[in-house]
Amino acid sequence: MTTYDVIVIGGGHNGLVTAATLANKGRSVLVLEQHDAVGGLAVGDEFHPGYTSAGPLHDTTGFSPAVAASLNLSYTTAPEPVFAPQKPGDGPGLLLHHDCKKAAAEIQQFSQSDAKRYEDYRGFISRIQSFKTKLFEQTPPTPNALTSLIGPSLRLRRLGRGDMLELLRVGPMCLADWLNEYFETELLSCMLALPALSGTRAGPWSPGTAANLLRYETLAHADIQGGSSALIAALEKAARSQGVTIRTNAKVTAVRTDGQRVTGVTLDGGETIEARMVAASCDPKQALLDLLPPATLAPKLHHRITKARTSGSMAIVDLALSAPLRFACRPELEVREARIVDTIDAMERAFDATKYGRSSDQPILEVVVPTVANPSMAPDGHHVVSIMAHFAPYDLRSGWDDASSNAFADAVVQQLAGYAPDLTDAIVARRVQTPVDIETRYGVTGGHIHHIEHALDHLIVRPDPECAHYATPVHGLYLCGSGTHPGGGLTGLPGMLAADAILGK
Amino acid sequence: MTTQRYDAIIVGGGHNGLVCAAYLARAGRKVLVLERRHVLGGAAVSEELYPGFHFSVCSYVVSLFRPQIIRDLELTKHGLEMIPLESSFTPQLEGPGLCRWPEWHRTRREIAQFSAQDADIYPEFGLAMSKMAYFARELIDNPAPDPASLNPTELIRMLRLGKHMRSLGPDMMHLNMQLLTMSACDFLDLWFESDVLKAPMAVSGIIGTFLGVRSPGTAYVLLHHYMGEIDGAFRSWGFVKGGTGQLSNAVANAARSLGVEIRTEAPVQQLLMRNGEAQGVVLENGDEIRANIVVSGLDPRRTFMNLVGEDHLEDDFVTQLKRFKYRGSSGKVNIAVDRLPEFAGRPNVNGRADHLRGDIAIAPGIDYLETAYDEAKYGDFSRRPYINVVIPSIVDPSVAPPGKHIVSCFVQYAPYHIKEGPENWPSRREAFGDTVVDTLEEYCPGFKDSILFRQVLTPWDLEQEFGLTEGNIFHGELSPEQLLFQRPMSGWAQYKTPIDKLWMCASGTHPGGGIMGAPGLLAARAILKARAT
Repeated sequence: MTTYDVIVIGGGHNGLVTAATLANKGRSVLVLEQHDAVGGLAVGDEFHPGYTSAGPLHDTTGFSPAVAASLNLSYTTAPEPVFAPQKPGDGPGLLLHHDCKKAAAEIQQFSQSDAKRYEDYRGFISRIQSFKTKLFEQTPPTPNALTSLIGPSLRLRRLGRGDMLELLRVGPMCLADWLNEYFETELLSCMLALPALSGTRAGPWSPGTAANLLRYETLAHADIQGGSSALIAALEKAARSQGVTIRTNAKVTAVRTDGQRVTGVTLDGGETIEARMVAASCDPKQALLDLLPPATLAPKLHHRITKARTSGSMAIVDLALSAPLRFACRPELEVREARIVDTIDAMERAFDATKYGRSSDQPILEVVVPTVANPSMAPDGHHVVSIMAHFAPYDLRSGWDDASSNAFADAVVQQLAGYAPDLTDAIVARRVQTPVDIETRYGVTGGHIHHIEHALDHLIVRPDPECAHYATPVHGLYLCGSGTHPGGGLTGLPGMLAADAILGK
Repeated sequence: MTTQRYDAIIVGGGHNGLVCAAYLARAGRKVLVLERRHVLGGAAVSEELYPGFHFSVCSYVVSLFRPQIIRDLELTKHGLEMIPLESSFTPQLEGPGLCRWPEWHRTRREIAQFSAQDADIYPEFGLAMSKMAYFARELIDNPAPDPASLNPTELIRMLRLGKHMRSLGPDMMHLNMQLLTMSACDFLDLWFESDVLKAPMAVSGIIGTFLGVRSPGTAYVLLHHYMGEIDGAFRSWGFVKGGTGQLSNAVANAARSLGVEIRTEAPVQQLLMRNGEAQGVVLENGDEIRANIVVSGLDPRRTFMNLVGEDHLEDDFVTQLKRFKYRGSSGKVNIAVDRLPEFAGRPNVNGRADHLRGDIAIAPGIDYLETAYDEAKYGDFSRRPYINVVIPSIVDPSVAPPGKHIVSCFVQYAPYHIKEGPENWPSRREAFGDTVVDTLEEYCPGFKDSILFRQVLTPWDLEQEFGLTEGNIFHGELSPEQLLFQRPMSGWAQYKTPIDKLWMCASGTHPGGGIMGAPGLLAARAILKARAT
């Protein structure tokens, strides 16, 4: 029986990055994936015969070039614009190009000063980018090791007095206030704000959300052609070519320990596999609370991990369409990605519902049309629309059942149809996945796509002071998923940094 | 034009202005204080609004007033007397509610009604918070260090703070980080399970802010409750005997005895500017008074937009000034009643009501508080607001006629920016007052009938009468981006201003609002250290 150097639990993007990085350094690595294909939250499925959805993590712009370079990944990138439609008669909608000048030209239709301010905004983002990127590409500084703060502090000072103070000022602010300082066009503020709220339990008036936007903007690069499935394919290829063994349909049910030391894992069905180390790309609650034998963790740590906020707040609605998605405000436009929200108040109201355990009556939507770039995901001429709909709290007070999920899906479709009136007639099939469904299907606690809430406290120390550097108090057990620094989304960074920690870098 | 020349003129006789004046005089400076109204104290003022009833019109309890000031200025000798708040009562519509007492065994029994586990953890929580509060005290008793400065003294101060923080140990440092970033509600969720306990604790995180108990960043204000110290004794909040105005009067008496000249009904029109520097002030009646320096006890917007004028300021400074947020969120309803209020869930016993001697929080649950906030977010006052009630006449009979009482209600949320526009607050004032009375009536049947007089102060009134911009009781929101080295803006957070010889000394500067006196004290120290006059 083989003893692996490292077993990676979960073949999501971070698990694959960890595995490939370790194998590249000569370690023998086994990846155990519970589904029949790797990719975790980044891949969709055939939700209706002939129609394949996009996964909950669809935005590839955040994938770290540093990770891609270190793994020699082969994919091509091309920036894609995002569209924010307006209701028929309200205006032409806003097509936000990746290129700043092109974007400014489009914004000019709404406001001369916003076009200029947009360039200022982008200017600020690009000036702080190197500082932020460095922060995300390194093991996080911890407040209890003051020396680890020296490097980041010096780099922060190197931004110059103005940008440094601005960064410190903006971080704890709320999105609405910060964007309001820049822009008068609410549509623009809204579409910039939405990705910062995606998957979180926060509204545009929640303090600290500006930090989420800074995080999102400084991580964003160009889109990967072929989307998240192309990225996963590239990662899988890189891992296999480094000699990683990947086993699918292999669900880990326990991490085996000998005292405070990891010895391997047990699979569903009782098979045990030995390893010197285990890297868990699943969420920290699963890794530390569900998979470890009871009473392995000290009570204090156990309590803190239990209290980590992992309640998801978004549902996914997949639509199979017999026609392309067309927005009435600009019918000629072939939209790949759209953000549906037109006022800050509407965003905030959508969020309000979660506080009382309700889903939003008028949800705000991130819409992806994967079939524009990849027509093979639907029959000829047909399309798939995957909608990440906010807010639908995991802990719905009335509980999620068919009636409540369908009611929410109705609200989502109605909201989208308000901008794309032909939509309703084109729907061939519809599937809704609430956070409870996401939890069941993808195995993430609370159905939280970022594993742990993207709030300042959970971003600064992720997931806990005792395992913020990927190692856990259990010898040989590491965390390597989105529940660790620098957090969720398709970046690959937690996976890479965890591998570095395992290699003792 | 007067020929009298002063070392310093303080604009505004609020408690910070008076503290600053007293300290400058104590160092031998000749100081003049100019107050617009007929009474001193600014928002820390008592007035006989109804015959025999002495109301603490705005501020109503004292917690963070620096003990050092009491000692240095010998305020006790000048008439200051504090009465500690004895209890904290949170009524519920059903049942007796929760009352926290000074004696632990009583509090324990009360909390255990709702959760035995919470009762067990409560003292541990208090201990952790007190430790943190001890650390936070270092911050409010010193000027805010400037992280962008390369000045060695600033760097040394930052390092000292860092070392001080490290001495707390890793658990406490993590707690510190959580306090600074989390919402009051999320933070309390880490410890407690009972809504009845969490709600009244969480409200200390929202007082005076336009945020809800679930808004990130509200947790650190929980510390305030544990920082409350009267005369060196930690964790006690209190009334000032005779009303909050007596604190201002005591400081004013101390200041006078140190040689400070104080004029009331002397509104300042603007600064006397020559060659880009402040040379004195011009009163509304046209009088010019000269001084070496002018110290503003007004909030930043009033200081710079009204006293100085935009044309004397650089564009960048004006931009920063304009984005400093005020957004008052609270109102005050002062009520005179002919008998002691009686809460249905916890009746008075033989006319005695020990549970009403401290503060009473209408905060029956987290959802109640959050709903109140949500209504305000979209431009309306809360239909069922959070009300912090105190009845000072129970412990201090001198403020009301025998058998009669003062019911002071701090009410949140009453946003300055209502849908109708702030200037339309007067037409909503009585409706707002009715909401408060109706809410109390639900808990105290018969309350409405006992009312002899009521005064309703909306944020608009606070602005018009007390000169608080947008009705913000703290001279600007106490949000993280407006604290420490950013209060009121980075680069100008150490009491100096870009106008030569003009200084700031009030709540719009570090460490912020509340009856602390710390800004006044720190400003005086900075002025003396700079040998500005």
